[in-house]
Amino acid sequence: MTTPTLHDLEKISAYLDGQLSPAERARLDSRLAADPELRAALDDLRQTRTLLRRTPRRRVPRDFTLTPKSVGIRPPVPRLVPALGWASAVALLLFVCTLGTNFVSLGGLGPMAAAPKAVAPAFSRGVGGGPVEAVQATAAPASEVTPTPEVANLLAPQVAATPEATTPADMHALEQAVRPPSPPAEPARPIKLWPFIFLGLAILLGLAAFSVRWSSILAFRRKAGKNVRHDQ
Amino acid sequence: MDETALIRSAQRGNLEAFNRLVLAYQDALFNTALRILGDEDLAADATQEAFLSAFRGLNGYRGGSFRAWLLRTVTNACYDELRRQKRRPTTPLEPLNEDDEEIEAPRWLADPGGSPEMQMDQAELEHAIQHCLEALPADFRAVVVLADIQGLDYAEVAIAIRKPLGTIKSRLARARLRLRECLQGFWELLPAAFRLEEESAA
Repeated sequence: MTTPTLHDLEKISAYLDGQLSPAERARLDSRLAADPELRAALDDLRQTRTLLRRTPRRRVPRDFTLTPKSVGIRPPVPRLVPALGWASAVALLLFVCTLGTNFVSLGGLGPMAAAPKAVAPAFSRGVGGGPVEAVQATAAPASEVTPTPEVANLLAPQVAATPEATTPADMHALEQAVRPPSPPAEPARPIKLWPFIFLGLAILLGLAAFSVRWSSILAFRRKAGKNVRHDQ
Repeated sequence: MDETALIRSAQRGNLEAFNRLVLAYQDALFNTALRILGDEDLAADATQEAFLSAFRGLNGYRGGSFRAWLLRTVTNACYDELRRQKRRPTTPLEPLNEDDEEIEAPRWLADPGGSPEMQMDQAELEHAIQHCLEALPADFRAVVVLADIQGLDYAEVAIAIRKPLGTIKSRLARARLRLRECLQGFWELLPAAFRLEEESAA
């Protein structure tokens, strides 16, 4: 008789659980009949297994059932107003259109911005002479004012005449002659309302989608609460 | 509705059907986790985590023992917790002696002067078994809990811990040997009636 080896003890453990093949079981039966130490080892394992099977079972401390929130289930969109499911997308599209048209409108004011530069009144220089020198010193690069025949006529007699002899009327006439033509007045642009209309529609649709979604969430939660209470 | 129908319904996302399965198996999962982890709170967390994981991965169940499939999820959750404990060792709650060993509670000490007729109640038996289980390596502990405490056969245990049948046989035998050695210290505290039953059965 020898002390059972680890291999023997593994066989005995499987024998105890009926996990040996018929041939293996027959061989072990004959060894058990001849070896008391092997029988004692089998008894020890049997008692250990019996003790373990008697381990008290504890009651669960709480209910482990899952809630929709714990598993991340989202409430369904209500079927009554499926069209409003697209409301958010439409609202966004309208908002983008509104922004886009606003940018385009701002770009249309470009030509208006390049106004011709004002002609600096030559009289502010007033050094060494009267209007003749003043006219010649006038700079109007943007409009490229060329002296009209009237201006030339006015200039010629004035050269011969005494500069101090010019009258206010002549001065006024001269100013009128040399003043660059004022640009034609643009008609007043009407305020466009449709970007604001689109923006308002976008906001209304977004609010409608949000309120429908929120009411469906509340209804789903009320229904889920009733189901859990019914099961309990 | 039978179990197969409940499982199919739960696989289609029916949470009510799955919760009926939870109510049927929560005792088994909780007690398995409790014997592996040795702590009620940790066992409850592992059980909850296991059911969540099972619901999310239910489409991975392809038939066979549903109990073994569920016990696999709780065993994995227990292994995760044991790995977490290894990374963050906790301070023992029991006082330490001069050799820095935990001083055991008096009820666990065998009393050589005690009468052979001394009876051990169920609570003492449970404490003795739990103490010896926790002395086992995690892999051996899981096998013996599933096989001897939960009553799974070898094939179901193999499914639960995803190991070959030969590994299950070997680990179970070694776990039983170690438990036998540990429980011998409490042997004289076993109820006499229990010992008489075993003698007659042998």
